[in-house]
Amino acid sequence: MTSPRAVVAALLALVASGSAASAHHAFSPVYDEARVITVAGVVTEFRFVNPHALMLMDVTDDSGKLEKWTVEFAGRLNLSEFGWTAESLKAGERVTVTGNPTHTNSPRMFFRKIVRSDGTELLPGNAQRLDTIEEQRRLRRQGQPR
Amino acid sequence: MIPKRSARRRRVLLGLVLAACLPGLARGQSPASRLEGMWSDPPTTPEGLFCFFACTDAGIARLNALLDDPANDARPFQQLQAEAKRYEREYLRDQLTPAARKRYPFDPADDPGFLRCEPWGMVRQIFAPHQLEIRQPAPDRLTLRYGEWDGLRTVHLDGRAPTPPKPTAMGHSVGRWEGATLVVETSGIAPNIIMLPDLQAMGEHSAEMRVVERYTRSADGHALHLTATLSDPRTFRAPQVLRKIWRWAPEQQIAPYDACEVPTEFKKGARP
Repeated sequence: MTSPRAVVAALLALVASGSAASAHHAFSPVYDEARVITVAGVVTEFRFVNPHALMLMDVTDDSGKLEKWTVEFAGRLNLSEFGWTAESLKAGERVTVTGNPTHTNSPRMFFRKIVRSDGTELLPGNAQRLDTIEEQRRLRRQGQPR
Repeated sequence: MIPKRSARRRRVLLGLVLAACLPGLARGQSPASRLEGMWSDPPTTPEGLFCFFACTDAGIARLNALLDDPANDARPFQQLQAEAKRYEREYLRDQLTPAARKRYPFDPADDPGFLRCEPWGMVRQIFAPHQLEIRQPAPDRLTLRYGEWDGLRTVHLDGRAPTPPKPTAMGHSVGRWEGATLVVETSGIAPNIIMLPDLQAMGEHSAEMRVVERYTRSADGHALHLTATLSDPRTFRAPQVLRKIWRWAPEQQIAPYDACEVPTEFKKGARP
């Protein structure tokens, strides 16, 4: 079983993946953007709301102790740009979530990546945009001498 | 080879489809109809992402210089964007009055939108990311509705006096058309937070703030460009021009904004 608070060091690409593009406030007062953690558990509820969507999940540690975690996302107004709906995450799903922990290490994190039990991934929309930009840059380098 | 008649028919059909997909582009329609409808996150271009909140010409020039330098080809866009944003913040800091500079950047933990779920004021709202719905419910006014905070502004087109008796969060907006460009002048804005240029670097403005917004739809109809001139002698040494871009997004809807949580744990002074 995955340790509920396995700290993943230096996932800088995830850390830097653009919280500014998704918020009605800066995330830095609540979440530590310099760290990422990974937690595995079972979804109990997904609230597709504004200004921030929330996923509640049950996480059981190696000793069998159950902990209630909250995962915070960008809002519905942002996620809807990338095809997310209220059905994107369902109660009962087993997921592994990577995100930024709170400054106090409370059982809460800001979403960076979710891996479902079938291996499919959910990523912040900004990651998709950045892929598109990198592809544009690659094509430009190939087609336009500078 | 395609017969001429068939090719002409295809062009006519294409025109009809385009007119249906991009309302307001047909000849003879009012200027408002060119802007009416739903806009949202910017086109996925370097400039679009850079101007996701607000941006300056100085910042865009810096970003383009970084992108054009072959020495940066191996660096990810996100890194170049961050470097250009740092440059832009320093540029904006230089534009502030000494008094305003002392409180820039504002600690995000003191943001009333965060601390008390207080909706944004006009100067921040106009640069809000995500949905912007423009409608003309009556000949004498336009409404601008934002996905962020479900904020609503009215722009009066009947030439009424621009200064209300008491400042309000959204101020008093009077609009006019200059060709296909919507020009909105707003005053009477209560002191509030301003993004210079985003949530990572905010400042404060005074009740003397005056904003002139110019909204123009791109020639291809796919983008909406805002150029806003902000004048506030207590905040800026000289009027400042900020820009923003939206994408035509008829598939988008504005959803209820009714689940803001007042934070129970946060840290002051934690900079992004």
